[in-house]
Amino acid sequence: MIRIVGLIVVGVLGLSVAASAALADAGGAIAPKEAPPALAELGKRLFYDERLSGDTSLACASCHQPEFAFTDGEALSAAYTGAGHFRNTPTLANAGHRAAWMHDGRLGTNLNDVTREMITETYLMNMDMRLMQERMKQDPVYVEMFGAAGLGEPSNGGARKALAAFVGTIVSRGAAIDSGTMSSAAGRGALLFEGRAGCAQCHTGARFTDDSPHNTGVPDNPEIWADPERHSAFVTYAKFMGVENYMNLREDLGAYVRSHRDEDRRSFLTPTLRELAWTAPYMHNGVFGTLDEVVDFYDAGGGDDPLKDARLKPLGLVPSEKADLIAFLGALSGESFDTDEYVWRADDYDYVLIENWRNEPN
Amino acid sequence: MTLPRTLLAAAVATLLAAPAVAVLFAASAMADDSRPASLAPLGPPPVPADNPMSDEKIELGKMLFFDPILSGNAGMPCSACHLPEAGWSVPFAVSIGYPGSIHWRNSQTIINSAYYGKLFWAGASKSLEAQARSAARGAVAGNGEDDMMEARLAFVPEYRERFRDVFGDDWPNVRHAYMAIAAFERTLVQTDTPFDRYMRGEDGALSAAQKRGLALFDGKASCTTCHNGPLLTDERFYNTGVPPYDGWEDDELAQITFRFELYAKGSTEAFYRATKDDPGLYFRTKAKEHLGKFRTPSLRYTAYTAPYMHNGMLETLEDVVAFYNLGGGENEFAETKTSLIQPLGLSQTEMDDLVAFLESLSGEEILMEEPELPEMEPLPLAARD
Repeated sequence: MIRIVGLIVVGVLGLSVAASAALADAGGAIAPKEAPPALAELGKRLFYDERLSGDTSLACASCHQPEFAFTDGEALSAAYTGAGHFRNTPTLANAGHRAAWMHDGRLGTNLNDVTREMITETYLMNMDMRLMQERMKQDPVYVEMFGAAGLGEPSNGGARKALAAFVGTIVSRGAAIDSGTMSSAAGRGALLFEGRAGCAQCHTGARFTDDSPHNTGVPDNPEIWADPERHSAFVTYAKFMGVENYMNLREDLGAYVRSHRDEDRRSFLTPTLRELAWTAPYMHNGVFGTLDEVVDFYDAGGGDDPLKDARLKPLGLVPSEKADLIAFLGALSGESFDTDEYVWRADDYDYVLIENWRNEPN
Repeated sequence: MTLPRTLLAAAVATLLAAPAVAVLFAASAMADDSRPASLAPLGPPPVPADNPMSDEKIELGKMLFFDPILSGNAGMPCSACHLPEAGWSVPFAVSIGYPGSIHWRNSQTIINSAYYGKLFWAGASKSLEAQARSAARGAVAGNGEDDMMEARLAFVPEYRERFRDVFGDDWPNVRHAYMAIAAFERTLVQTDTPFDRYMRGEDGALSAAQKRGLALFDGKASCTTCHNGPLLTDERFYNTGVPPYDGWEDDELAQITFRFELYAKGSTEAFYRATKDDPGLYFRTKAKEHLGKFRTPSLRYTAYTAPYMHNGMLETLEDVVAFYNLGGGENEFAETKTSLIQPLGLSQTEMDDLVAFLESLSGEEILMEEPELPEMEPLPLAARD
């Protein structure tokens, strides 16, 4: 906490104590969630295993790719074979610390539930987890790793625990804001972020998010409605969430799907600002390709929506201020996740025949 | 009425050589023209009152039968495992299964499925409509989810129009898709096999060997104890001792699917650990006396549907007849094996005659061109106008 305030002092003269309060809450580097190493290691192997999807074509890592800080570099995510997604893949960096998941925040419990949702959802991995269990049991590496993690034989519950444990290990490392190496431009940006630009009203804490939904008027991504594979996945989702008139909807209702309150229409969870350098494009539907566009968007007071958060007003930032803000955002990105720590490098995903099958217990 | 060609040839032969008279006499003595009361020709299929037939519904059902849109990956239509050119089944022991998996039972022909009161090998569905839904959704079959499949249908302009015309749907209802498929399947019947023509009075429709086979079928071989009526099945459940699927010994994917079925269909842990064969009807009733029992299949159209039995473990009709001649086989569920199956003591000639009769239960092969399928398109807001 003190270190961040200090950084800002170094960067900018005339620091206002009041303005630093929210940023000071950021509190520095984010710790990985505690997990037994054998459990997280198992989760790491599962994360890269395509056999966790119904037709064995998708792993978690297909959309959450380590080289993009566990996003996929696309505006709209890929999805299960024959489907397309209607939202942008969020980063998994620091995801274990979230209070809610999914852009609409519809999962508010824990990563274990998030894992189940991803694996079983028909337009995501479309996996019957009972079949997944039996696939894992046919792979001796899993039999050994589940045992080593204290989970007994391979099971769905064990797999979810392990995946959640692995995701909990994915935390930002070496970002300038944590290592005390922010440039002076970034320091000036920090003050704007917290002060006149008002960013810190929602982008608070160590992950720079309040984990709450807001309507900022992000424009529609017409690609969702132009692509029947995406749009039909959206209809499936909207119908499941109990949204009325889903066939005639041409907008993503965001957090409305869980509250069904009109004022929540088109509001989306504040995203983390960590690792932005790796995770373009931006916003829940990937409509902005660069951080310049994002900053311009907020400088203009956000988008055009009758339900837009009243706190969004035109900011009147000059180009140098925008550059400072972007420098600050840059200081929130750390090292690549494409490292042995986070990537299962071995191509060892094989089934092995159970010999003497008749005499081996299932 | 013209003389059957074989008779004519035999008559000519008598003019040429005296011994031929004896042959002709022997043949006609063994193959009388009786028709067992336990069997009957096949009439029109029953149509449920809540799903009446119409040409438009049948045409829609045909499209949907071949359309991969009704599956999890938009890649596994009904026809993936019910191939018209493979007897509307799959020419392997067990069915193909969803990508990444293999199935665990033999794919049954669609032909004449309209007459069954119990669909699937253990009779899990009571109607073609219910069968279509189960197959579209099963993890090792279609792996589809109704909401998603229904959403996809709405993006096909031609389906929007056809579902509205046939069912009055504002938007295609996936339950109606299963109804249309069932209506199409009710057209895939065969009621004019040599056997049917014979049973309707056409004496020459069966060869002498087939008539001898028919007599054995209803007599010494006792087949009609279970294979009776116009469909040649009593639709009851028996364990005849069919040996377990051999893929469980040498195919990793088959081992996975077998355990999945044990798990998914509900087993105690002890049962899951120890069971090494398909429990069949037991999965539905959880009654021990139902272990390893399967619904008697129809014998119609079997000329095109090899291999045979619930797990495809018998390759030819000759193998099937030889299997029953030995009194059936052995599997893990010996205590439930039916006592109706006993060694028959058939000679090779008798077995050949039985096979000849079985062949009379198939008519011409039923083939058809796959329909041209419409595609999903962006959905205009005014789609309903």
